[in-house]
Amino acid sequence: MPARPPAVQLDAEHVRFVEGAVSIIVAARDAANAPELVRAQGCRVSRDRGQVQLFVQSAQAQALFDDLRRNGRLAVVFTSPSTHRSLQLKGDDASIARARPADLARVAAYRAAMVAELGRIGISEALALALLAGDDATLSVVAFTPAAAFVQTPGPDAGRPLGAAP
Amino acid sequence: MNLDAIRDCLDGSIPGVMATCAPDGTPNVAYLSQIEYLDGSHLALSFQFFNKTRHNILANPQARLLLIHPQTAAMYRLSLRYLRTETEGPLFERMRAKLAGIASHVGMSEVFRLKGSDVYRVQAIEQVPGRPLPPSPPRRNLLAAVRHGTQRLAAAADLESLLEAMLASLREDFEVRHAMVLLLDGGGRKLFTVASCGYEQSGIGSEIPLGEGVIGVAAREGTPIRIAHMTSEYAYGRAIREAVAQGDEADRLETAIPPPGLAESRSQLAVPISAGRRLLGVLYVESPQDLRFGYDDEDALVTLAAQLGLAINLFRDAAESAAEPAPAQQRRRRVAGPTVTVRHYAENDSVFFGDDYLIKGVAGAILWALLRDHQAGRSSFANRELRLDPRIRLPDISDNLEARLILLQRRLLEREACVRLEKTGRGRFRLCVARPLQLVDVPAGTRP
Repeated sequence: MPARPPAVQLDAEHVRFVEGAVSIIVAARDAANAPELVRAQGCRVSRDRGQVQLFVQSAQAQALFDDLRRNGRLAVVFTSPSTHRSLQLKGDDASIARARPADLARVAAYRAAMVAELGRIGISEALALALLAGDDATLSVVAFTPAAAFVQTPGPDAGRPLGAAP
Repeated sequence: MNLDAIRDCLDGSIPGVMATCAPDGTPNVAYLSQIEYLDGSHLALSFQFFNKTRHNILANPQARLLLIHPQTAAMYRLSLRYLRTETEGPLFERMRAKLAGIASHVGMSEVFRLKGSDVYRVQAIEQVPGRPLPPSPPRRNLLAAVRHGTQRLAAAADLESLLEAMLASLREDFEVRHAMVLLLDGGGRKLFTVASCGYEQSGIGSEIPLGEGVIGVAAREGTPIRIAHMTSEYAYGRAIREAVAQGDEADRLETAIPPPGLAESRSQLAVPISAGRRLLGVLYVESPQDLRFGYDDEDALVTLAAQLGLAINLFRDAAESAAEPAPAQQRRRRVAGPTVTVRHYAENDSVFFGDDYLIKGVAGAILWALLRDHQAGRSSFANRELRLDPRIRLPDISDNLEARLILLQRRLLEREACVRLEKTGRGRFRLCVARPLQLVDVPAGTRP
């Protein structure tokens, strides 16, 4: 449960979107404001929609984890490869934990959904699987409370806060 | 690691993602629509909107880029530092032309407009741990193709065989089916097609103004332009082709030759041909396939175009200083058949055989001078005397007369005119006339 009420309330449709077949990119930054980023492998939103969990390959994210442990600040972009629809969430309370067996099932389902989605834009199954490969024995979970959300679909509206008039 | 080694990742088939950070410590992630390779340690990103990324890099120039190799899915992280924004010049024009291709591919032509090219220094490149696919062998070894093409060009004895060697190399060494060579008009305002392959109509003699379309912009900016997806904005000459196809009664006597070109071109590459710093023309290739030309293809054709440019220059000088003796004046061939009326309009030097438009401009003036001399009993000519002929008015001392003669020769052949040009030696040729001609000179002020 989040320690404080979230500043952003995701609706059911947002949850379906971020938990679906979307590319997920997580960014953090160090003490000198130098950014870092990594691709995540799936997402789960808590039942009260107050907390978001991202599944990340530990071997790919050592520097990002260091940053998150120090300052907790992150930005995550969820993008549909076929429609370019995009949503960005930000938070400042990110924590890192080891994945549990239920998480591994989530990641497996995410990979299967992404292979199908990427196939729709002409990316082969072999390439999609290589892109999402990893060592699930060391899978980590990054959890955070969304403090801000932005429409990020490419174009002049990109960056508009969720709920604000275009 | 050098950026050279992973530049296939920049081709846009899998978009790159960039992280930046605001001065207050808030990170941000954005997908990139275009990444342009500059050299082993620099790249440029398209600046299209005043968005969060833009604000961030102006305040905090540190950025991190995640790239994916389109064939192996290997991931790379690059540390970047923002240096400057360019809003004009070769880099900007190259990116603008490419962006038009990308935008029309994703159906956002109206939204995607390049405001600037943001130049970054690549400070570090790191491969992200993963299990990428093994790289597949390249379609062909482009370095070997360049070597073979170079040998073909070196073996050419004159401009005509040089152009043929260039097209043969594209077809056979590079498996490029559709190509053309255009040379700059001495006045420097337009390009004319002097050789082509792979088109239903050769388009020899067709003209493209400097700055128009992929070819015209490549020439004006002196930079190669490579477009991976079809684009309407830069579909050079399409409008001209359509206008010619629909020509109504009023412009029955059309004096524009439609440029060649694929109706459904999906990949295009235009490479300037220069000698030293002087622009001579453009080498253009295209394909109905998306993503047909990569960075390596661009490097290969830039290299061959450099050699082509030097050779064109060499032959231009050689053709006019040739000391080959003039061949003995041969007996003129018998002319037969009905008389053909040939009209010359002084207004634009256009020449018509009957009602059929043949050529205009400098090539038209050359043909008219040759026909007049032929009426007076001459049939052998030398390039050098043509250059000095006051009737021809070459726009520039450096004008490529040889290229204009090739153009004229091919146009006469293609239009099956009753007049032919035959080469008789270096810098020499003969005019062959098969039918009796009636020459009509229409003074300036009367448009065809």
